[in-house]
Amino acid sequence: MAKRSFARTGVKAKPVTVFVVIGIILIGLVLSVTGAKIPIPGQQELLHVYGAKDIRFGIDIRGGVEAVFEARDYEGTPSSEDIASARSVIALRMDNLQILDREITVDKNSGRILVRFPWRSDEADFNPEAALKELGEMARLTFKDPDGNIILEGNDVARSYAGVNPETNQPVVELELSAEGAEKFTEATGKLVGEIISIYMDDTVLSEPRVKTQITGNRAFIDGMADVQEAVDLAEKINAGALPFALQAISSSSISPTMGQDALAVMLQAGLIAFLLICVFMLVYYRLPGLVACFSLTGQVVGILLAISIPQQTLTLQGIAGIILSIGMGVDANVIISERIKEELKTGCSLQTALSNGFTRAFSSVLDGNVTVAIAAIALMIFGSGSMLSFGYSLLAGVILNGLTGVTASRLMIGSLSQYKKLENPWLYGRKGGQQNVPVL
Amino acid sequence: MFQFYKKRRLFFALSIFLILIGILTSVFAGIEMDIEFKGGSILKYAHQNSIDLSKAEDVISEAIGTNVSCQEVTSFGSDSLSLVVNFSGNEALTPDEQVKLEEAIIEAFPDQEFALQSANLVDPFIGRELLIKGIWAIVVASVLIVAYVWIRFRSMSGPSAGVMALVALFHDVLLVFFVFVVLRIPLNESLIAVVLSILGFSINDTIVIYDRIRENEKIYKSKMPLPDLVDLSINQSLTRSINTSLCAFGAVAVAYIFAYIYNIDSIKEFALPMMVGLISGTYSTIFLAGPLWVMWKTRGGKSGF
Repeated sequence: MAKRSFARTGVKAKPVTVFVVIGIILIGLVLSVTGAKIPIPGQQELLHVYGAKDIRFGIDIRGGVEAVFEARDYEGTPSSEDIASARSVIALRMDNLQILDREITVDKNSGRILVRFPWRSDEADFNPEAALKELGEMARLTFKDPDGNIILEGNDVARSYAGVNPETNQPVVELELSAEGAEKFTEATGKLVGEIISIYMDDTVLSEPRVKTQITGNRAFIDGMADVQEAVDLAEKINAGALPFALQAISSSSISPTMGQDALAVMLQAGLIAFLLICVFMLVYYRLPGLVACFSLTGQVVGILLAISIPQQTLTLQGIAGIILSIGMGVDANVIISERIKEELKTGCSLQTALSNGFTRAFSSVLDGNVTVAIAAIALMIFGSGSMLSFGYSLLAGVILNGLTGVTASRLMIGSLSQYKKLENPWLYGRKGGQQNVPVL
Repeated sequence: MFQFYKKRRLFFALSIFLILIGILTSVFAGIEMDIEFKGGSILKYAHQNSIDLSKAEDVISEAIGTNVSCQEVTSFGSDSLSLVVNFSGNEALTPDEQVKLEEAIIEAFPDQEFALQSANLVDPFIGRELLIKGIWAIVVASVLIVAYVWIRFRSMSGPSAGVMALVALFHDVLLVFFVFVVLRIPLNESLIAVVLSILGFSINDTIVIYDRIRENEKIYKSKMPLPDLVDLSINQSLTRSINTSLCAFGAVAVAYIFAYIYNIDSIKEFALPMMVGLISGTYSTIFLAGPLWVMWKTRGGKSGF
């Protein structure tokens, strides 16, 4: 059990450790503000570490693109099931692209799909039509026999991905068909052994594989790929074509932020003041462990910002809520630890024993609290889409960082500081009227 | 030492009272939903120069009696501007309402030459599918949390502890929901954000007290009746509960004050229910989860250990 290992190691750390930990936190702080371009050895391109200013903000903060899509080359109005399925394809695609702040809705009467999403963080020319390209092909995917009859359509393919044929070790594209699609495909491949099935994206041929044997079940693969890249590209195109019909943007325009331009600056100011208030409170109430808490909380905030900006996740209101909650839990971890140390000191034991017991006894509650919240975060990430996914992600990142900073970094810093003779006064750790009366270990 | 267990009925009554107020308000005043949950109409008007969007929101809301949100769209390359009006409702706007709306914006912004470009009646942004997914996420998370508490708090005979933690959790989520209803904030995306945060906060808070009970059971088992042991545990962690909640509450309050000064509605609608939720989260752990668990364990005169 973790409990025992803590007791064994105590909280002793080298006197220099505290400076190393603070140094790492400060480097992270600078990095999270400025971002960085790091050269990768042997490659031309620079590795772009996005800083907080490069975060992709939601529509409410930064505005974005509004596009109205309509079925192309379609007689009449598509059924509401088809429109709903097109809507979920677009939503899924945006989840995969980390565009978690978006509004997708449909007008059933006219069969139109309305999509709003935020600008990319590095958007330069704010051309909505160009920005739409990020969403990928809106074309119609078909599998046709040599006579041009349609065998499968976009929504018959559940999923497609690049893989390797275990027998030949060659790259292939694997297809996973829907139940209905599998039925149609089994029937068609039964008739077409030795012939070619062409895969079209609108009128462009993507691939022309030959049918070797009848394919039963819901899995098939296409071989003859030149390299892995070709397999990945084809799989992506097939995935993109899972729409029930081709879509065209009948209008695209820039849309203003809902919150007003200065909202971000105002909230940033509010965040800073709130953070300072918490630091002052911790410092006054818990003294040395409070000071340590300020550093480890800074580390936690920096870590969460980087966890959001590096993969270019969209920052939504829910994402911000996740950050606030995890920082709250970081404060809680530090409060529990500091409170426990205080309590141990009251029993009259030595400083080192108090520190060691304080951390050991606080650990189980911090662990259980964080694991339970992490469970909820993971469930939201698996089942949720859009804003829930965003909340789950920032919360999970925050909770993991809480383990790193709230527990580990705080422990290393306090352990290291307590090695200094001048910092051995129990008053610094919260004991009332403490004198330098501790037996030196 | 405060005797939480002995006074439990007082606090149960308070919670039931608050929940009743919420239910009555929901039934008699109804629950207002925003376009995200209810669907509604999106109208688009072409106009000349940039206008003050929050003023547009105010005059339109007043003219047709529903909350609307306004945005401005620009086409790339040309300078043509349009005002987008989003509002919730199951029916398209009646011609009569549309006339009122147009009169109101023309009066507020003369010389803009407003011209209707398009009107769409749209489905909710957060559709049935998304809601079902969200509910599944919460159900699965609840089951897993009970399972985890069951394993980690075996000495407290886990399942009942897990279930009581969930009771406290649902109490908090309900109260937050009622804040939206009572303050007439239309249900929108900030409801999701607040409910999810309170879910996490409430569970964490309860677990920390359980941890203290678990520790004290090892020390005082059969030396102290269960109600006293739980009271002792709550009292021992009281400073921590207050300090943590104070920090969280203070941080959200600062956000609320800033949003209030600069009049940022979406943050106000988020911060206010959140503050209530934070108080409720701490309250429910201390006054509900612990005492309820003791009542369950000592039912029918059992010792509870």
